[in-house]
Amino acid sequence: MKKTSLLAIGVCLALVITGVLVAADHLDAPDVAGTTADITDFYAFEGATADNTVFVANVQGLLPPGSSAQFDENVLVEINIDTNGDLVEDLIIQAIPRDGVMYFFGPYAPTATGLNSTIDANTSLTGQVDISAGGTATTATANGISYFAGLREDPFFFDFNQFNAVIGGMAPNGFNVPGNDDFDGTNVLSIVVEVPNILLGGTFPHPAGTGVEVFNTWVEAKRKQ
Amino acid sequence: MKHTNFKILFVLLTMIGFMSCGNDDDAVVITTDDDGGMIAVDFTGTFAQEDQMGRPGINTVLSPDNTTENAFNVTIPSAQGAAFQPIFLQRAVDLHAAFGVEYETNILGLDATTLTTILASDVLQVAPDNPTSYFDGTNILTGRTLTDDVIDISLILFFGGQNGDRFNGQDLDGDGTPDLPILVTDGVSAAGETPSSSFPYLENPHN
Repeated sequence: MKKTSLLAIGVCLALVITGVLVAADHLDAPDVAGTTADITDFYAFEGATADNTVFVANVQGLLPPGSSAQFDENVLVEINIDTNGDLVEDLIIQAIPRDGVMYFFGPYAPTATGLNSTIDANTSLTGQVDISAGGTATTATANGISYFAGLREDPFFFDFNQFNAVIGGMAPNGFNVPGNDDFDGTNVLSIVVEVPNILLGGTFPHPAGTGVEVFNTWVEAKRKQ
Repeated sequence: MKHTNFKILFVLLTMIGFMSCGNDDDAVVITTDDDGGMIAVDFTGTFAQEDQMGRPGINTVLSPDNTTENAFNVTIPSAQGAAFQPIFLQRAVDLHAAFGVEYETNILGLDATTLTTILASDVLQVAPDNPTSYFDGTNILTGRTLTDDVIDISLILFFGGQNGDRFNGQDLDGDGTPDLPILVTDGVSAAGETPSSSFPYLENPHN
């Protein structure tokens, strides 16, 4: 009887925990959610040196403290840069892990654009950095480009469960103030590259008509076939 | 032991063979490991897209169902507008209709068609010669910093109307109870985030 009660409590707890995780995993499409190719976030901003741009690509979100999650050697993370506004990549920066080391290629112009990629390991700009498991970050620099890969605190903040309630028609009063950060206390696998702007090609006028010169960027996760 | 050595030698020879005469000679690198030994690292193969992202939350918020979400992730940005803008526009209409209202032109002067047209191409604009902000009133969509409140900005652009505060829990009849829902903030700010000002910027992991 006692054992059964404990079991019941255990099952209930498991269901609750699963419910929370599933809700948060719905950040992206079901085909990719929760896989090693699941991109959780992408950032691009002016570096501490204003002549540099920093790219941050995060994968495999909602990792618990002390997580031993690893980058997948079959998953290529590719940062795309469009310098003329036609929404087609003119330059790419590729990152892929091998045996505890993250290898980087680019920025370079790919021989083909689109859904499928190959790696030109002979491109002139390459770098590598030991993957950081936790704590102190191991970084590396080559050709003025800085590299990092490893476990980090997830900087994203969002009351995701309340958002689901709102769009699900279950929250007639909308969001709560204050809300709850459902990403508080979670980690993510992060790839950070800081690149001198001079290596990033040209710019074009902002499509929103602000008159500011910009490039387009986006990140893709691609699995070896 | 001996057997293993032979195996390694064979692998190395095979890879060097690839380097000299194979079609994949651009994808094998001979480098050194931590002990200074020579190793061959293989980057050959074709990698096919499974996920894609430019701006935060676009697919999550604007795709109405799983099929659309899956398709969006494997569509190149130059093809996303034509394929998904009509779906996203309908989503904008539906999400407003759920609260009994229609979309109102937003603080950037964008009507629903223009806004969904911009958002359907899921790329992030970055201004390399300007301060970075997703939106701070002065800098508009010039990139994304680690502390930009992209959720609130997106909600304001989507639900906020021409003044940005259209749905902020207003008490219209003054009876002490809100008459409108709160849709322009999720009530979570960047206050809990303390990224570093130097590379690699992101905080140490929780352990």
